[in-house]
Amino acid sequence: MLQTTGLVKRFDGIEALAGVDLTVGDGEVVAVLGPSGSGKSTLLRVVAGLERPDAGRVLWNGEDVTDVPPHLRRFGLMFQSYALFPHLTVAGNVAFGLRMMGLSPDEVARRTEEALRWVDLDGFGDRPVEGLSGGEQQRVALARTLAPEPRLVMLDEPLGALDRNLRERLVVDTRRLLRERGATALYVTHDHAEADAVADRVAIMRDGRICQTGALEEIRREPADDWVADFVGAP
Amino acid sequence: MDRRLDRDRPAIGTRRLTLALAALPVAFLGYLFVYPVGRVLWLALAGEPGTAFTRVLADPRMRGSAWFTLWQAGLSTALTLLAAFPLTWAVARYRFWGRRLVRALVTVPFVLPTVVVGTAFVALGLDGSLAAILAAHVFYNMAVVVRTVGGLWSRLDPDLVDSARALGASPWRAFRTVTLPLLRPAIAAASSIVFLFTFTSFGVVLILGNLRWRTIEVEIYHQAITFLRLPAAGALAVLQMVGVTAILVLYSRYQERRAVRMRLVAEHQTLRRPTGVRLKVAVAAAVLGTTAAVMIPLGGLVVASFANGGAGWRFLTQPGPLATRPVEAIGNSLAFAAVATLMAVAVGTLSALVVSRGSGLVSRWFDVVLMLPLGTSAVTIGFGFLVALDRPVDLRATWILVPLAHALVAVPFVVRAAAPILRSVRPEVREAATMLGASPRRVFAEIDLPIVARAVAVGAGFAAAISLGEFGATSFIVRPNTITIPTLIFRLLSRPGSVSFAAAMAMAVLLAALTAALIMAVDRVRAGEVGSF
Repeated sequence: MLQTTGLVKRFDGIEALAGVDLTVGDGEVVAVLGPSGSGKSTLLRVVAGLERPDAGRVLWNGEDVTDVPPHLRRFGLMFQSYALFPHLTVAGNVAFGLRMMGLSPDEVARRTEEALRWVDLDGFGDRPVEGLSGGEQQRVALARTLAPEPRLVMLDEPLGALDRNLRERLVVDTRRLLRERGATALYVTHDHAEADAVADRVAIMRDGRICQTGALEEIRREPADDWVADFVGAP
Repeated sequence: MDRRLDRDRPAIGTRRLTLALAALPVAFLGYLFVYPVGRVLWLALAGEPGTAFTRVLADPRMRGSAWFTLWQAGLSTALTLLAAFPLTWAVARYRFWGRRLVRALVTVPFVLPTVVVGTAFVALGLDGSLAAILAAHVFYNMAVVVRTVGGLWSRLDPDLVDSARALGASPWRAFRTVTLPLLRPAIAAASSIVFLFTFTSFGVVLILGNLRWRTIEVEIYHQAITFLRLPAAGALAVLQMVGVTAILVLYSRYQERRAVRMRLVAEHQTLRRPTGVRLKVAVAAAVLGTTAAVMIPLGGLVVASFANGGAGWRFLTQPGPLATRPVEAIGNSLAFAAVATLMAVAVGTLSALVVSRGSGLVSRWFDVVLMLPLGTSAVTIGFGFLVALDRPVDLRATWILVPLAHALVAVPFVVRAAAPILRSVRPEVREAATMLGASPRRVFAEIDLPIVARAVAVGAGFAAAISLGEFGATSFIVRPNTITIPTLIFRLLSRPGSVSFAAAMAMAVLLAALTAALIMAVDRVRAGEVGSF
């Protein structure tokens, strides 16, 4: 279970995070929904350990991991730009995290193949990542993030770079994958429909604060304030 | 998205690091480029103000060379466009067997050293004629048109032409009123590049012009080396720089004005199979005609190298008509290429790191300064070395001068090859590795190192190929004990006698093979890379 308490992060005196308290239960998928500039990506980066918070703690199952370096947290993060390794093949990308775990080469190969099957990319292993389409790159990035079975899966606008048709198809696949793996996940998006389709619970974020959490349906029915009502399109 | 802008701005420490990385390249360019070119300018401007220029402009011989430079460049460009048109059309519009092969084939002359191109036309027995110079220029530059114009043409939305046809335009009319105007930016780009290359043509004209046809470049060489009239050579070099700058300025003005935004589609959506007998014959004629135009000079060169019962090849290992034995020239060339590659890769990779480290003012200015040697002719660089590098120590008497010149010519190419590869290591890529459990040391070993190594390998391949074929700068600074393959070929060609002739041909074949091998190796490393030229 992930828990953050009072997370604050400032850049040049401006608060990107202004005290974020958020809990993600085991096996729960929480979507962080908010307009751009609201601090969603910063939240992921602080939880990941890529940025140090100026105040507040990050806890995993009650244990304080705020000072644990990012590569030892066993948290996975999928970037909006995918950040695929340009010098490695599809399989090389997916195998990377498994190799870092110190698994035997046989085990790495087996689990790489398995992860590629999850995203319907079996047979793509030997291809360079450069020639892939946008949708294929997205699936490689997803397989790469899920393959080492991280304790927490974080996805930063994972479908943001794709066109609408593809997004609608892949949102279903992504949801199914997260469910099947029983993943505990934090899913950042600015798209209501996507948040609703993927997540058990939605956290609305604005100006570095979480203003309301709950199922999107509930939030629509009982918005906390006028801004939330306007943002989620309450009747 | 949230705070990304802030993270991209380099912190103070990063800027200091950027400046430190830039130190060696700046010193290198300062001493080997800015200072020598400054000395050339000084040569032309010292003494009575303007005298050197007035003399040059009053001299009918030099006026003739300047005029010839201009009109042959214009004519060569027009002929190149015409000659490249059939193949450009065929590969841009149609899918056929051997399409990629013929595209690669037409690129071969472009990567060959100019000395080899010149020698190939000597092999055909055409030297001394204007036709040979023009033909060699066309042969060398066709690839520019096929790649630049064909590249855009194959990505034009086919619906545009189809709409014009549906509105009643004949195929020719649709081409003239739709396709051609849309291709204009690419045609202008290709024409500018070809004009620039032929305007500064040196090796080809020196070899094929037989002293009768002279570009400004060749004239600088004669004035400086044959007549030892250094101020005149300096004035010519300045005129040449003014000409090159004017071409580049005109070109960029035109590009700005003409920037039409249009929708491009993927190549595989536009290519069609040629249907009907007439179309098939036309495509086949374009492909076979171009293939012949490329293969005949190359084939002629190989055949000529075996003339005289293979004397040319036997000569490679024996003392021959010249004081220097060919093996020594080959040894020199390989050694210089190794040294020049080391220097160019060190300077070029550091420069590429600076350029790719961000969008700061330092990086942007540095990028511009780095490309200056590209806009300056190799002849001017060689001439500058000759007049300037006697201080603080007289480098002109040492062998290091030649690889230094080669490294300077190669650096912009190394930067152009390495920078896009280095740029692909975005901070997020490192962070992704971190999130997958890689410690900082492993991130460096698994991400930075392999990618930089690849950039270095590609840069090294280009640098070595450039060094092996470099002729313009080398011809100014070469000494009997530092003779290289291209300069030896030139000397052999200037001598009468069938053994010299066959030997020159054999050396040219050897040089072509070495260059081709290097370029092919680079291509393998680069496979899948999105390069910038």
